[in-house]
Amino acid sequence: MANSLRLYLTCIRNTLEAAMCLQNFPCQEVERHNKPEVELKTSPELLLKPILICRNEAEKCLIETSINSLRISLKVKQADELENILTKKFLRFLSMRAEAFQVLRRKPVQGYDLSFLITNYHCEEMQKHKLIDFIVQFMEASFHPLHLVLWSVVNYFKYYAFLWTY
Amino acid sequence: MAAVAVHQFAPCITCHAWSPDRSMVAFCPNNSEVHIYKLSEDKWEQAHILQKHDQIVSGIDWSSRANRIVTVSHDRNSYVWNYEGSEWVPTLVILRLNRAALCVQWSPQENKFAVGSGAKTVCICYYEQENNWWVSKLIRKRHNSSVTSVAWHPNNILLATTSTDGKCRVFSTFIKGVDTRDSKAGSSSDSKFGEQILQLDLSFSWAFGVNWSPSGNTLAYVGHSSTIYFVDDVGPSPLAQNVAFRDLPLRDVLFISEKVVIGVGFDCNPMVFAADESGMWYELCQIPWGEEDVINWSQVWFAVF
Repeated sequence: MANSLRLYLTCIRNTLEAAMCLQNFPCQEVERHNKPEVELKTSPELLLKPILICRNEAEKCLIETSINSLRISLKVKQADELENILTKKFLRFLSMRAEAFQVLRRKPVQGYDLSFLITNYHCEEMQKHKLIDFIVQFMEASFHPLHLVLWSVVNYFKYYAFLWTY
Repeated sequence: MAAVAVHQFAPCITCHAWSPDRSMVAFCPNNSEVHIYKLSEDKWEQAHILQKHDQIVSGIDWSSRANRIVTVSHDRNSYVWNYEGSEWVPTLVILRLNRAALCVQWSPQENKFAVGSGAKTVCICYYEQENNWWVSKLIRKRHNSSVTSVAWHPNNILLATTSTDGKCRVFSTFIKGVDTRDSKAGSSSDSKFGEQILQLDLSFSWAFGVNWSPSGNTLAYVGHSSTIYFVDDVGPSPLAQNVAFRDLPLRDVLFISEKVVIGVGFDCNPMVFAADESGMWYELCQIPWGEEDVINWSQVWFAVF
């Protein structure tokens, strides 16, 4: 299981290294504007083909690139209702504080749990390989607490169920 | 091969140009100003700051004979700066653009300059003596997307452009009164202004960084799919070659000589391409630049050989 996670993250890292070739590009549609093209989607020639990397049916990562911006959307595994609620709460907590993260998108893309938006300005201020490290480590770390929380919740119920029946 | 000298002028440099004697360099530190630094006794000192643009300066070119600097910016304006006394004095050029200007280059004879823009047009500007100002003529309706790079042929009439629609086009920019019809030049001097001589559809992705060889016989440009395209005998029957490489895409190229080309791009090392005797181009080597990822997509530095 850990092996497939490694492969999944390596695949995402390699794709990001190729996709994160961003440059400053002023808007073609509106004068004096400079907007992330991957969000506007007004000029199809400025967008590259989106890449979907699936670990299994439940976990996937969509990487959409354009000439000046990159959007990474993640869907994490949610086996049952409890995990669903926990994931929602945890990721909503993060998204509300998107300004602190700078590269996080406030609302995830439709069909996904979490989205990042990286623009050329982020690449100018921060180092590209450090940004990629951050995203991959974030993905690794976000798998962990959810499971820990889930296990602790399940164990809590088991313990009290045991206390009540005996 | 290692760097001759490394100086950090600013955290991020958008574009730059060398002075004719290579003692000064003008660049834009990712804002609306142009800084000019002078080399004196092995140290770079700030000589001038040119402040006229409202938005980021996207292109600078320094003409070698007349000592003029032309700057273009995302605010759709262009200024030609003349050195008078001890100050640089700007002259506004009415480009008639309705989108940002992306790149600029003086023509070989420095009587014209070309500006590529996000309005899918190219402006050719020339000086009108009677009215004492710079006039622009536009090449419209040919490009399907922003024009990312322009390059003049040594004959001062042909202009190559690359665009984010993936195509490289060669136009004639003959202007009556500015250019003279050369009887020896042949087909290039028979064309009208704005006539498309050639359209190259070699790249599947965006095209950047076009450059002519010193003789004007070969054209090179890069595509975002990590390929560089060489076109020999530009004319009715061109010969094209692609060289694909493993690294991240290039952003700009420069012909050092007739057979050697240097490309820079998203990988932090400049790459050298050479042509062998039969005319086949191949990747020669990479120049190690060190650990700094400073070169994001800078233009090629004119090496002082």
